[in-house]
Amino acid sequence: MATLAVLHGQDDSEQTRHSPAALGSGFALAAQGLRKRYGDGAEALCGVDFAVREGEIYGLLGPNGAGKSTAVQILTTLLLPTDGSAQVFGRDIVRDQDAVRRSIGVALQETGVDPLLTGSEALELQGRLYGATRRAARERAHELSGMLQLEDFAHRRIANYSGGMRRRLDLALGLVHRPRLLFLDEPTTGLDPLSRNALWDLVRTVRSESGTTVFLTTQYLEEADTLCDRIAILRAGTVVAEDTPSRLKRRMRRDVIELEPEDPAQLATLLRLVRRSQPSATLEREAVRVHVSHGATIAQELLAAAAGAGIALGGLRVAPPTLDDVFLELTREDGVTDTGEEA
Amino acid sequence: MLRFLEELWLLTGRSLKVTLREPWAVIPNIGISLFFLFVYNAGLSGIGQLPAFGGVPYLAFILPVALVSGSVGGAGAAGQALIRDLESRYFTKLRLTPVSRTALVMAPMLSGMIQLVAQTVLILLVALALGLKLPGGLLAAVGVVVLAAGWGLGFAGYAVGTALRSRSGRTAQAATFIFFPLLFLSDTFVPLTLIKAGWMRVAAHVNPTTYVFDAMRSLLAHGLVAAPLLRGLAAIVALAVVTLGFAVYTAQRTLRDA
Ligand SMILES: Nc1ncnc2c1ncn2[C@@H]1O[C@H](COP(=O)(O)OP(=O)(O)OP(=O)(O)O)[C@@H](O)[C@H]1O
Ligand SMILES: [Mg+2]
Repeated sequence: MATLAVLHGQDDSEQTRHSPAALGSGFALAAQGLRKRYGDGAEALCGVDFAVREGEIYGLLGPNGAGKSTAVQILTTLLLPTDGSAQVFGRDIVRDQDAVRRSIGVALQETGVDPLLTGSEALELQGRLYGATRRAARERAHELSGMLQLEDFAHRRIANYSGGMRRRLDLALGLVHRPRLLFLDEPTTGLDPLSRNALWDLVRTVRSESGTTVFLTTQYLEEADTLCDRIAILRAGTVVAEDTPSRLKRRMRRDVIELEPEDPAQLATLLRLVRRSQPSATLEREAVRVHVSHGATIAQELLAAAAGAGIALGGLRVAPPTLDDVFLELTREDGVTDTGEEA
Repeated sequence: MLRFLEELWLLTGRSLKVTLREPWAVIPNIGISLFFLFVYNAGLSGIGQLPAFGGVPYLAFILPVALVSGSVGGAGAAGQALIRDLESRYFTKLRLTPVSRTALVMAPMLSGMIQLVAQTVLILLVALALGLKLPGGLLAAVGVVVLAAGWGLGFAGYAVGTALRSRSGRTAQAATFIFFPLLFLSDTFVPLTLIKAGWMRVAAHVNPTTYVFDAMRSLLAHGLVAAPLLRGLAAIVALAVVTLGFAVYTAQRTLRDA
């Protein structure tokens, strides 16, 4: 196997980013150069590498359309990769699908439950499909109904479940066979804050009690932060950063300032002015944008400078970075060469 | 192998269970078959006196039409059951389990076959109540059920194949319209000798349903007679090979990457 990626020694975090490409032991999940091109020609994944250690909670963070669900579907044997490879506990996801399916539990972004069954019937059948005896399957179904607060509804048709209950049942179905690796695709989207916290607790419990490795996707920085040991940020099919949440946050704890001149003709002048003190400022549609560590102070300075140069401002925004700001900043910072898009 | 049978059993059981929970998906089909039987028998039984029928009572002549329409409908239910699972995404959940892919696709077909056999027996019982005589006895009745199930299996392959391919209830439903030419471009109401239109006779000769009708009629009227029975079985095997091949091919393509 050739070297998978070149190291870019910008800071220490970059070392961890590409190094664990290993196929060997200790990794619950590893992917090398994973690509997916859909039938219509759209490239959803453009060569993704990562490695998840056993027992780790690993988050794939990205906005709509980044390719999170595509990645999950490939890793769980539902989709074939166009190129690249991946292994679950050393078993190839294409050549050894049965072994992979046996060791993973999955809750996809869209739930998959049969509305005509009751919750306990669905759980029991699921257990039996994994080879449990009727009795063991029944006990496990009961246990999981308790764990996910579904007892009151266990004997009611799933058609009568609320969206949140369906999600919990869907997750329970993924846990029936005590998988060693659990995939959760946006597990908290659509849950109320209480259920969301309960789900976070559950993920932690599953990990601490059975040492289950968890691979989850999310759009929320906060969720990745509280739950994950390591995060990869996916943007347009490319991993733009991978690190622990605290190290990423250190890199990201930057405010965004946007200044918009009243007269668009003065945009270039304003940019030149801002760049005198903030060389990293960029043009963003009708505004000048800059990422700084102390938004309020710098904003004051910039306002004074603009007033001094006689530029009237039509708009001003000072804000902590949104996920989008983080992506924008990260892609610029890392440059195109670092995104794995060698072609 | 044992494991495969167990998986098939579990999945088929579940499929039957949910079918019974939504009986309105199957009741109309049985209703249509019984309607055929009553209406055509009541309205047309007089023509059974014609010499072309060779003394076979019209009830025995028209009964296979009710049975075949029932079996095709039962097979269509297999496709509908699969569509339901595709739409609820429960099928994806099942694909994530290590269950045999063959069992996944066969379960709805088998469940459709079981419904169809039950339905065929019911229609036979109604026909007996209407005065059907079975000179061939129980053996002939079993033969008729086997023919209906075989013909249904052929259709189930077609229904499941189109369901997997289209993944949409409407398209799969539209595909079952092939049922009309197959059922009616044949010696459906009168023996071939009474059909005057040349094109219709050609169509009836080409249409495999004709041979299934003839095999059933021969069983009902005379008991086991080799020639028509073998022709009927040959038609069934031919259809089943083509449609099950189509279902397996489609399943292999769509279950790997969808
Ligand atoms: N079946 C498909 N056929 C064609 N293109 C697809 C298909 N599924 C996804 N895509 C495209 O691939 C890209 C990645 O989609 P994907 O669903 O993986 O994103 P995501 O990160 O899960 O987004 P979200 O947060 O909205 O769930 C998108 O541009 C999407 O339009
Ligand atoms: Mg998604």
